[in-house]
Amino acid sequence: MNDLSGFDCLAHPLGEWLKGTGPESDVVISTRVRLARNVSGFPFTARADARQRSEVLRLATEALRSVHLEKSVVTLDLQQVAEMDRDILVERHLISRELAGAEGPRGVTFGRGEMLSIMVNEEDHLRLQWIKSGFDPDRAFSALRRVDAAMETALPIAFSPLYGYLTACPTNVGTGMRVSVMVHLPALTLMEHVDKVFKAAQRMNHAVRGLYGEGTRAFGDMYQLSNQATLGRSEEEIVAGIKAIVPQVLEYERRMRGELYTEKREFVEDKVLRSLALLRNARRLSVQEMMSHLSLVRLGVDLKIVTDVSMDTLNRLFILGQPSHLQREAHAVLNPTEREARRAELVRAKLATATN
Amino acid sequence: MDCQCCQKKPARIRICDVLENAVTEQANICPDCWIFVKRYMFDPARPLAPTLQVLAEVRGLIDNIPGKALATVPPPGEITPVEPAQPVPVCPECGMTLAEFKHKGRFGCARDYEVFAGHLDPLLERIHDVTPPRHKGRRPAHAPAGDALVQRSRDLAGLRQQLQAAVAEENYELAAKLRDQIQTLERAPAPGGAA
Repeated sequence: MNDLSGFDCLAHPLGEWLKGTGPESDVVISTRVRLARNVSGFPFTARADARQRSEVLRLATEALRSVHLEKSVVTLDLQQVAEMDRDILVERHLISRELAGAEGPRGVTFGRGEMLSIMVNEEDHLRLQWIKSGFDPDRAFSALRRVDAAMETALPIAFSPLYGYLTACPTNVGTGMRVSVMVHLPALTLMEHVDKVFKAAQRMNHAVRGLYGEGTRAFGDMYQLSNQATLGRSEEEIVAGIKAIVPQVLEYERRMRGELYTEKREFVEDKVLRSLALLRNARRLSVQEMMSHLSLVRLGVDLKIVTDVSMDTLNRLFILGQPSHLQREAHAVLNPTEREARRAELVRAKLATATN
Repeated sequence: MDCQCCQKKPARIRICDVLENAVTEQANICPDCWIFVKRYMFDPARPLAPTLQVLAEVRGLIDNIPGKALATVPPPGEITPVEPAQPVPVCPECGMTLAEFKHKGRFGCARDYEVFAGHLDPLLERIHDVTPPRHKGRRPAHAPAGDALVQRSRDLAGLRQQLQAAVAEENYELAAKLRDQIQTLERAPAPGGAA
């Protein structure tokens, strides 16, 4: 167990889930399974006072220590973590924006591989998540279920035979489980078919969100597909539901990529190579600009238009080019213009390295 | 003696609150008011309350019926239009009211699910697109404290069922006893809590 003093965000390698090696990694970035749990006998976080919240944090931390989750975990008391470092954790998908911006006793525990993360005193007392590279809901769920079962031996969890695991928001009650699949849909976006996919997903009771979850925009053609219902379906049925939808989306995206390549080759080559040239030469880049061009280069790698850049490099740039990661690397708070210059420099360096 | 509810007609019925074999509160009311008080008192959707509080609430309810004096009280079915003036369930643990929950869209604690049980199904059906909205899937395995919580929830559900049956049979003596048992169980601290 480490505290903040032992944690250096930049020395810590980025999550394994960004490797781009999992199943269907041409389209699927990652699969995340989340379970919402509450400790019985305490009001939910929003209604708990500081004393109750710190008691929940203490109990959860003790329980986590007693169940030996992984060989090496990092536990952070978020009240002791600076705002910029909290934002880094958000950019790495280890905590939510809500937890970063909240007040009072709260924390996070995550594995060194950054696949497992457990938030304490988010909307629910415990939010457990497991992220796998590519499309792998079965293994992400079974890995997380082991953690969940271990936690249940150490903590009394609020549960009702009628409504299942009890959560602060009625949209999470039941299994408390949300499976989110992060997909990269540049071809569907270019061909203007992306709305059709979302409407179809919604009809099948699934939601589509932006890169950083609820209410965020879809940067760089990245979207999260997730189950909407958590009550009245077993965990296996939720996994089966997402497994029924995602392959259809993948098939559609691949068909559009194929169509682009065979029927609009010049158009797509022009788009991809202009993006790559821009990223390799720009002196200032905004986040949005970086992400939309990275998205097209990523498409180019899949279509073999670009052969000297790896998926891994591109996936990592999506995270390393975010504002807090840039500022942490510069050891300074940067104004927007300075950030744009640093971002351009980082992207040039990473994409140039790939050519050597 | 005048009815303690309408304060006009002669009282013919005495209501006693009994807690652990001792009378804690009593009130005398007329048969007309009893029609309303009975419905109100044994409505499973309402939290149990001391008789005098019930009388005050029923009195307020009747006064809120526009343009109607107590002498011409409507038949019980016509009470529904003034529903908003009626008290709503309150969670004994976190103080959440049904109105506050509806406004915020978030529960205050796990007990709320029990306290608002009668009001949740339509909402949960809509959110999760499932009828009836009941849990399917895993449950906690080895948490003894969690088991105690589940057991209490089962006990309460059983007692409430018996209470409804007793009221239907007009066995008010048994109903009062059951009501007290429910109240005692509800007031006990939730098992498993370290708070």
